[in-house]
Amino acid sequence: MSFPAHITVLYFAAASTTLGITDELVPIPEKGLYLSQLTELLIERHSQSSLNALRKILDSSQWSIDAEMVDDEDLTKVELKDGMEVAVICPVSGG
Amino acid sequence: MLPPGSSVEGVVELSGAVCSISYALDTVESTVKRVSDDRFGAIATFIGTTRNSFQGKAVTKLEYQAYTKLALKTMTQIIVDARNRSPDFRAVVQHRIGVVGVGEPSIVIAVASPHRNEAFRTCEFILEEVKRKAQIWKREYYEGEDESEAEWKSNV
Repeated sequence: MSFPAHITVLYFAAASTTLGITDELVPIPEKGLYLSQLTELLIERHSQSSLNALRKILDSSQWSIDAEMVDDEDLTKVELKDGMEVAVICPVSGG
Repeated sequence: MLPPGSSVEGVVELSGAVCSISYALDTVESTVKRVSDDRFGAIATFIGTTRNSFQGKAVTKLEYQAYTKLALKTMTQIIVDARNRSPDFRAVVQHRIGVVGVGEPSIVIAVASPHRNEAFRTCEFILEEVKRKAQIWKREYYEGEDESEAEWKSNV
């Protein structure tokens, strides 16, 4: 028996308000997943939510893996692995 | 809705600087004491407070969340970048999370430098970089509007 690989996805701010959750365990498909493909996967998982709002938020967000920001141009190169903590980083508003 | 489990208090201490995220801020006086150094002749401070209105709407409160472990990493790098520009300073950067009422402070930055020029500039640099990069989010609540409609703001 093999355990499916999972990532933890963290949501903050508008992303968490729209989805109504702050984090979730997301299984990685057997064929693997690049960070650039995660948006579509999350939209499929939350098809009952307001899809337009979710897509808009994810498209305008950056991403971090294990508390390191990922450059936009690297999204298609980074493969998601079991145990990673992936965060949706919406446009920030600190200070 | 409960705040994210990753939006917690945290502190990072570097050589000559402290960055923190917390539900309450230290007094400005104690923060100034922390950066004070007899070698330095200038202390610049910045305090960001909640305004009572935005585009004609009355603000009742602000709420802040942080991805704390990443925000602290970012704040640490900002201090490192500030040192590359002007190496000699002591600094404290404190950001609040949770609910911040009108008129209350949400961020305090104190910088002690040999002279006033570097103190002002380093303080401003740290503030602008925190606003640009730190993984912290602000939600603004307006009078007469449902709390569930309150918008998360963007500094962009």
